[in-house]
Amino acid sequence: MIRSSIFAIAVLLGLTGCEKAEPVTYTIPKEERSVAMPGPAAEQNVPAAGDSQMRVLPGMEEAAQAAPELSYQVPDAWEEFPPQSVRKANFRVSDENGSAEIAVTVFPGDVGGQLANINRWRGQIGLDPIDAKSMPQVTRPYSISNHSGILIDLQGAEQSILGGLLSFHGSTWFFKMQGATGTVASQAEAMEAFLSSVQIEDDHH
Amino acid sequence: MGAIFKFFASLRLTVVLLALSMVLIFFGTLDQVEYGIWHTQKLYFESFLVVWSYPEQWLYYDKLFWFHLPMPGGYLLGGLLFVNLLAAHFTRFKLTFRKSGIFLVHFGLVLLLVSELLTDLVSQESQMPVDEGGRSNYSQAVRENELVFIDRSDPEHDTVHSIPASLLKPGKRINVPDTPLSIRTVRYFPNSNVGRAQAPVADNLADSGAAVKMNIVATPTEVTYAESEINTATAYVEVSGPDGILGTWLVSNVIDERFPPQTVTLDEQSWEMALRFTRHYYPFEIELIDFKHDKYPGTEIPFNFSSEVMVHHEDEFKDQKALIYMNHPLRYEGLTFYQASFANQDKTSIFQVVRNPGWILPYISVLLMGLGMCVQFGMHFFKFLGKRSH
Repeated sequence: MIRSSIFAIAVLLGLTGCEKAEPVTYTIPKEERSVAMPGPAAEQNVPAAGDSQMRVLPGMEEAAQAAPELSYQVPDAWEEFPPQSVRKANFRVSDENGSAEIAVTVFPGDVGGQLANINRWRGQIGLDPIDAKSMPQVTRPYSISNHSGILIDLQGAEQSILGGLLSFHGSTWFFKMQGATGTVASQAEAMEAFLSSVQIEDDHH
Repeated sequence: MGAIFKFFASLRLTVVLLALSMVLIFFGTLDQVEYGIWHTQKLYFESFLVVWSYPEQWLYYDKLFWFHLPMPGGYLLGGLLFVNLLAAHFTRFKLTFRKSGIFLVHFGLVLLLVSELLTDLVSQESQMPVDEGGRSNYSQAVRENELVFIDRSDPEHDTVHSIPASLLKPGKRINVPDTPLSIRTVRYFPNSNVGRAQAPVADNLADSGAAVKMNIVATPTEVTYAESEINTATAYVEVSGPDGILGTWLVSNVIDERFPPQTVTLDEQSWEMALRFTRHYYPFEIELIDFKHDKYPGTEIPFNFSSEVMVHHEDEFKDQKALIYMNHPLRYEGLTFYQASFANQDKTSIFQVVRNPGWILPYISVLLMGLGMCVQFGMHFFKFLGKRSH
């Protein structure tokens, strides 16, 4: 009788101890990934900022919201959308060649530096990364909001990017037009006019 | 020995244990406000010992903060009640026809205690969100995490090497199963704030992956038990190959599929590395055909939530169509899919997926107890009728 009671307790205690987690290996059907897995050569393409595919980390959004306000003139053909998440401004333009999206984002720090960001953008339109020496071939100095920035012109087979990059009191502003190569080419003037019209609230002067 | 057995078989012990159970339920109910149902259940009813502390929000906390009340937990009380019932049964009870009803009641009670313990130990609960028109073949336990290394090199399938996050104790080295890799946890935060640092961090614990490229840092924060919130589990993990350390990565369940994967490469082979909610994969996919969120006419008050689903099994003969709605779950392959929630402007349905191999036991035990009572009272009733007719 006692033996059966002790046995019952032992079983109870034993059962409670069997919930032990162990490392395991299992196979699953092939999964489709929405974000492509970078190969070793594409390691540089890891988004650093402003990538619409990327989930916004806590803190990034706050940083964007804390950034100063900006004003600008919207080119005629552009359609403006309300700012969202880390985007400070949002536009879209369409023509007979296709469409392009224009986004303005801001992130604290230098976000990896100019070269890393140019290569990240190049990766997004299927271009190979470049080295520092080749930078002048795709960039030129451009004044944005009375500060010295750069204008970046990346032409891909189907998609192109025309963008501005501006270091501004410890933050980096990205002005990026990405879309069909024909549309981006036809909107080059409008993009430059837009960049020239940008005024960022500046309480440092 | 006889004394001990007498103690375990005593009715006095039964009364004390039942009284303590009431105390446990009382204080557990109080703490539920603070910790939510899930944590309270673990703390009070799935433990051997629990200490109740005077709540901070209560009056005179500054004077009574020292008040702590230790009490036996659910496992201890349940276990002792189980032993008490068995012992009492063996000492006092003699199975006769007249007492067969009582025997059935007691047997049902024993079965109920065992089934509760089984449910605690082996049941699994997880969630499966499915978009309308989309499919899913796994559910995830949002209160548990796993560190996974995924080998996607095979064109036919992916291989997942998983280490439960409960094993990620700082300093401890763990071999990643079936790979030449091993890991050592540098830091583990059950909940944290993950964000980008304003300036480069000099003492960043990670030297590889997203943390370095994106200047991400994690700071620990208090664990939340709220039903509607999740914890951002984060770890700094040092990965080693046979020839030495490959690097230290920051992994977190918010650095998920929407990011490019973090990879660990050794010679020609690479693995995606991630900390994520523990996943349970199934040999079938649930397709959400339509989710309905009906409201009372002219109001925003919900009237009904329902999901029309199609189950696509690897074995086509097991395909099944079903409508899941309140109190009408889908039972399939030992799993129960309940309509739990919805998201994404009524375009995503979230199912609670429960695997409980012992789900039938409480039904049987209640049936046995009911039958036992009927038998016992029936016999008394007929005896009474017999006396009256004399």
